[in-house]
Amino acid sequence: MNQEYDMKSMVTKIKALRRNAESLKEIAGDFPTVTKNCDRILADVRMLEININDAAEVMGK
Amino acid sequence: MNDSVYWNPILEKMPREKLRQLQLKKFREIFTWAYGHSKFYHKLYSDAGIEPGDLKKFEDIKKVPKMEKSMMRSVQGPGKDNFPYGDILCVPLEQVTDYRQTSGTTGQPIYQADTWQDWELGTEAYCYAMWAQGYRPGDRLFLPFGYNIFIAFWAYHYAGEKIGCEVIPGGVLNTEARILKIQELRATAMGATPTYILGMAETARGMGIDPPKDLSIRKITVAGEPGGSVPATRKRMEDAWGAKVYDQVGSTEIGHWGWQCTHQAGLHVNEAMYLIEIEDVNTGELIEEPGRRGKMVVTTFGRMAQPCIRFDVKDLIQWNARQCDCGRTFRLLEGGIQGRADDITKVKGVLLSPLAIEEVVRNIPQLGNEYQVVVIKKGDIDDITLKVEILPEYQKDEAAIKAKLTDQLRLTTNLGYNIEFHPYESLPRSQTKSRRFQDQRPH
Repeated sequence: MNQEYDMKSMVTKIKALRRNAESLKEIAGDFPTVTKNCDRILADVRMLEININDAAEVMGK
Repeated sequence: MNDSVYWNPILEKMPREKLRQLQLKKFREIFTWAYGHSKFYHKLYSDAGIEPGDLKKFEDIKKVPKMEKSMMRSVQGPGKDNFPYGDILCVPLEQVTDYRQTSGTTGQPIYQADTWQDWELGTEAYCYAMWAQGYRPGDRLFLPFGYNIFIAFWAYHYAGEKIGCEVIPGGVLNTEARILKIQELRATAMGATPTYILGMAETARGMGIDPPKDLSIRKITVAGEPGGSVPATRKRMEDAWGAKVYDQVGSTEIGHWGWQCTHQAGLHVNEAMYLIEIEDVNTGELIEEPGRRGKMVVTTFGRMAQPCIRFDVKDLIQWNARQCDCGRTFRLLEGGIQGRADDITKVKGVLLSPLAIEEVVRNIPQLGNEYQVVVIKKGDIDDITLKVEILPEYQKDEAAIKAKLTDQLRLTTNLGYNIEFHPYESLPRSQTKSRRFQDQRPH
């Protein structure tokens, strides 16, 4: 199946994911379940950045 | 259900010139990171007079000094900073969540640090491989392996979960129990070394179980040793299980960089996550064109705790001229890992790659899976012996088999061998990888 992917929107949402996870971690202070789960989320956000944002950058999207 | 053939349709079909741009961007990032966060890397690059601003175009990458295992060993271990990782580590120790090490067969093991993000990166790389091999939600994966302090198959487990498969860790069971568990749970896929895949099939037959008929395994990923890319060995495994067998390559220091897709045309290199360079063994010149074998130099993009940058692996590879029919622009290697630069040896003045012997032995169906090669010195002359097993039903054909082996070995390796036939199942078996080539000459 040939599918067009809305790279621009995906990039925007991935950036928002990062901002949200980082700011959640910041306001959590030393709340372990929040900070540690945010770390996990941010690791997966990094995977999205590697897979989508970096690709979009070289493709000019 | 997602029916995309590709884990990442954008990256896996990216035009080559864009892929190059991506690789340069990512190389600069990991180089800059390592330069700024690791005393080892900072010194290596400063001594060579190279810094991040010097990497302006793709061709500048080859100016970056290579690293080797011996260099990593020299900075790791007792008494070193950031024990046990040494000053190659780029993150505070408290960010390291996973320790693995190499087997140490070539010397002191390499200690490998990973942050959780690095571990996710390895998993993500393996997802590319498994998705390309047809793994999908609904697959029930059986791991006949006790994964442990070594990197082997951890990522197969995690990637299997990420894709949405069901994962059954079969580590603590013995071989017979694993076979019965595969049968009981109707597992559809497995990951193991070629040696063990062949060994398990032998054991199953001894239990009166015929894997293609009585078990439901229909796809197998092999890794850890050559075999998956040796056509005769792959055919043996596929015939033994009634399953498709796919090769996957990686290592502790590098990650999971190469894999066969369902077309099995060669090993794809994941060029979005790794940079593979091929270097002429004699001149050090970089080889871009297909068909010329050389030494592999690898860079892993994005692995932050203990980066792998222009790592001189000493595996021998060559680019394949064709683009795979799967449509991926990730290049193919011809014949997988063709040997190691330090395994290729001269016997009676002739260059010999042990893998060439494997292809001959495994192409003769009357022979068992196991074999050994022993090279000794008799006076001043090299003497090479091949030990094989004949399957019991073909014992009467020993003379004809010996003649065929002799001819094929002469054709393939240009050498004459002493051939010894051993009783079936008498040669050593291994549950992981086998060391079949024994060079006992004094060095």
